[in-house]
Amino acid sequence: MSDTLTADVIGRRVEVNGEHATVHFAGVVPPVAGPWLGVEWDNPERGTTEGLCILNAGGSFIRPNKVNFGTDFLTAIKNRYVLEDGPEEDRKEQIVTIGNKPVETIGFDSIMKQQSQLSKLQEVSLRNCAVSCAGEKGGVAEACPNIRKVDLSKNLLSSWDEVIHIADQLRHLEVLNVSENKLKFPSGSVLTGTLSALKVLVLNQTGITWAEVLRCVAGCPGLEELYLESNNIFISERPTDVLQTVKLLDLSSNQLIDENQLYLIAHLPRLEQLILSDTGISSLHFPDAGIGISMKHTAFHLFPFAVFQWSFFNELEKLPSLRALSCLRNPLTKEDKEAETARLLIIASIGRLKTLNKCEILPEERRRAELDYRKAFGNEWKQAGGHKDPEKNRLSEEFLTAHPRYQFLCLKYGAPEDWELKTQQPLMLKNQLLTLKIKYPHQLDQKVLEKQLPGSMTIQKVKGLLSRLLKVPVSDLLLSYESPKKPGREIELENDLKSLQFYSVENGDCLLVRW
Amino acid sequence: MRECLSIHIGQAGIQIGDACWELYCLEHGIQPNGVVLDSQQDQLENAKMEHTNASFDTFFCETRAGKHVPRALFVDLEPTVIDGIRTGQHRSLFHPEQLLSGKEDAANNYARGRYSVGSEVIDLVLERTRKLAEQCGGLQGFLIFRSFGGGTGSGFTSLLMERLTGEYSRKTKLEFSVYPAPRISTAVVEPYNSVLTTHSTTEHTDCTFMVDNEAVYDICHRKLGVECPSHASINRLVVQVVSSITASLRFEGPLNVDLIEFQTNLVPYPRIHFPMTAFAPIVSADKAYHEQFSVSDITTACFESSNQLVKCDPRLGKYMACCLLYRGDVVPKEVNAAIAATKSRHSVQFVDWCPTGFKVGINNRPPTVMPGGDLAKVHQSICMLSNTTAIVEAWARLDHKFDLMYAKRAFLHWYLREGMEEAEFLEAREDLAALERDYEEVVQSF
Repeated sequence: MSDTLTADVIGRRVEVNGEHATVHFAGVVPPVAGPWLGVEWDNPERGTTEGLCILNAGGSFIRPNKVNFGTDFLTAIKNRYVLEDGPEEDRKEQIVTIGNKPVETIGFDSIMKQQSQLSKLQEVSLRNCAVSCAGEKGGVAEACPNIRKVDLSKNLLSSWDEVIHIADQLRHLEVLNVSENKLKFPSGSVLTGTLSALKVLVLNQTGITWAEVLRCVAGCPGLEELYLESNNIFISERPTDVLQTVKLLDLSSNQLIDENQLYLIAHLPRLEQLILSDTGISSLHFPDAGIGISMKHTAFHLFPFAVFQWSFFNELEKLPSLRALSCLRNPLTKEDKEAETARLLIIASIGRLKTLNKCEILPEERRRAELDYRKAFGNEWKQAGGHKDPEKNRLSEEFLTAHPRYQFLCLKYGAPEDWELKTQQPLMLKNQLLTLKIKYPHQLDQKVLEKQLPGSMTIQKVKGLLSRLLKVPVSDLLLSYESPKKPGREIELENDLKSLQFYSVENGDCLLVRW
Repeated sequence: MRECLSIHIGQAGIQIGDACWELYCLEHGIQPNGVVLDSQQDQLENAKMEHTNASFDTFFCETRAGKHVPRALFVDLEPTVIDGIRTGQHRSLFHPEQLLSGKEDAANNYARGRYSVGSEVIDLVLERTRKLAEQCGGLQGFLIFRSFGGGTGSGFTSLLMERLTGEYSRKTKLEFSVYPAPRISTAVVEPYNSVLTTHSTTEHTDCTFMVDNEAVYDICHRKLGVECPSHASINRLVVQVVSSITASLRFEGPLNVDLIEFQTNLVPYPRIHFPMTAFAPIVSADKAYHEQFSVSDITTACFESSNQLVKCDPRLGKYMACCLLYRGDVVPKEVNAAIAATKSRHSVQFVDWCPTGFKVGINNRPPTVMPGGDLAKVHQSICMLSNTTAIVEAWARLDHKFDLMYAKRAFLHWYLREGMEEAEFLEAREDLAALERDYEEVVQSF
């Protein structure tokens, strides 16, 4: 690198020993002689100088000759793909070994020959190749016009204009990846019509803001996929003319995005997949009036993130075309005893969902989930005023907000029956005892007793108990019983060896004793 | 020339086959009705593919109408699974005669698949195979897809392999077999079926690529975020590996271009023919472009057990041979640098008597993914095929389970009823014990 610095060095991206940085200062720093460059490192921990007061992060002063300003696009391609015509000795590097055995490469010569034909290259990856500019005008278009996909991530590109200069020359460009480049975006309008064939644009970790996104994609009329991961994006405005063809929008790892901003992108007509993993969304609220959240066959990818309330899923139910949802690893489903229960609850909450966590929901599973949901909240429904008879059905507002689909489930499967909602009594002895009244039809002065007897007690034992009570010999006793459910019918308990259960004696029945 | 015939047997084989041909069609630009995509945009691709037109030929047969018919045969002893293909998306891709189904299935019983029910269908299958073979100018060999644990996959395959060796003795036969998952078992008698079929097919197969359901299940669950991986998700991953292995057969590439080369490169002894496969990178579709994998990253990943398709620990064994197949936008310089930088290099141990070590090849065609699947499209991928003695662990597990059941003669009557004898069980078990000993011998130094 020459020692003479020109003013246009400021703002350029450079590389020093693997670390990337931006130049902020070029000149002389007294008392030391010679030119210096003041750079701000990408990595905030690197750098020592506090004297650079314009910087917030770590910075250093470096001699210009230690710094790599990068190369142009074409040179980078040639470096990577072209067969070097250098002397043979250069290529006879030491033989690589794995496990003490040499590694044999097969057919690398023919591959290298094939790749050297730059004009045939369609997919090009120049990641971390220190590309900083487009090079001479038209050079790229002449050498490799057929490039369809280019990966320029982690290079030294410093501004969006530079990217356009490169992309401009590639008429067939469909996929452009410029992630991990700290780009300066233009504040005014951008040259339009330059990226007409572009379908996929990847701008992860570029520090772009939402307004800049909208300006840049103005030149991409056919854009289908847009990736904006880790950019600290805050959606500030609704896109009006742009992003109308976008099918996939990746906004993961942008912590500043919260639920209020979702409304701004909800109207994109072609949006099919929305990836919102690791954002600041903790709850959702969509306005009820179906103002067309017009997403078609939407898929939401939401994990891992903090879903704190079950009402979240009720909100998702409001999206008429939501078909797929991914939300593993969030605290709500972790709390639940089993992920299985959580899965069933989610399925029941969102009626039109077809795929949950990338597993298809089969009709059997949906039926099971909905029946479970209906049973689980049946008691609450009753308490909130629910009733089988639609006339008498008056549900509280609270219940309706918490379980919006419940009415629909009642219509589909019928209102939950009482016997379904009976909670299981624990299997203790006292729950198995029959409470019976004992009457003496011939001796009216005797009081009516109430006793608790197990159903498995034999008639003989009952007679024994009664004989001790009444001081009457067992052989004289004649037992029968009467049930309040069938008044007037008396059933004789004749066989001493059978139990009360055998005669279907139930709780609340009345034993009649005669002697 | 150099055609390969694929035969898919049993439910596992057929479902893998379905996914497999779908992927091949996507890679070669063939539509579901067999016609090649002919749009303006693809003129460029087709022009590039002109010199590889012969690649179609290895796996697809072109009819005079311009339709490309896969060189495949689907066989099952009961009709349900094959009916799925007959009514599925690719029904017009296959000729009806390629889809063979019987009426009564093998009920997870090797004896039924091999002796009673299988013997009724075998002649028809062989006749169809003959027909397909006649269409080939120079048949290289067969690729058999099947599972070890099922009745058709185990029994019928062993019957078929015997007859194929009889008729086509000089042709190579490669197998892609689904090994019964240690923890996820669909049938109790899988160990019986697996041991019996391994005993009968070992001498007829040249190379068997094993796929362990549990390993793939774990990959789907942990790396792809699929909550309950279904057979569909598992198969989509498996066929990516199958596609990488057969890539050199279908596209121009330098390594493993013939079926015979797999043998020469990977199989030191006829009986030690069970290489292990590993695949990288495995990225979930909703994490596309989040992480960029360099060639070094994916090379290192291949040596990790989480990327393997069979559950075993290669650090406990020694390597006998290994192939690294790169696909996509990979430059030879980077491959050399990546291999030199692989940290796991020093933990890799080779047997003493083997002179060659790793063979590395590159195939320019990038990996394709099925739309709507769980995998993200990546620019570069690597598939590692290694013949390591650590795979004896898989056989040991199987033998142990076999012993537990056989000691009590449990479930044996199902097999004896179909005409099998206990002697066959003992023979099979001894054969596998001998296989384990063979592996141990290989490791010993002189």
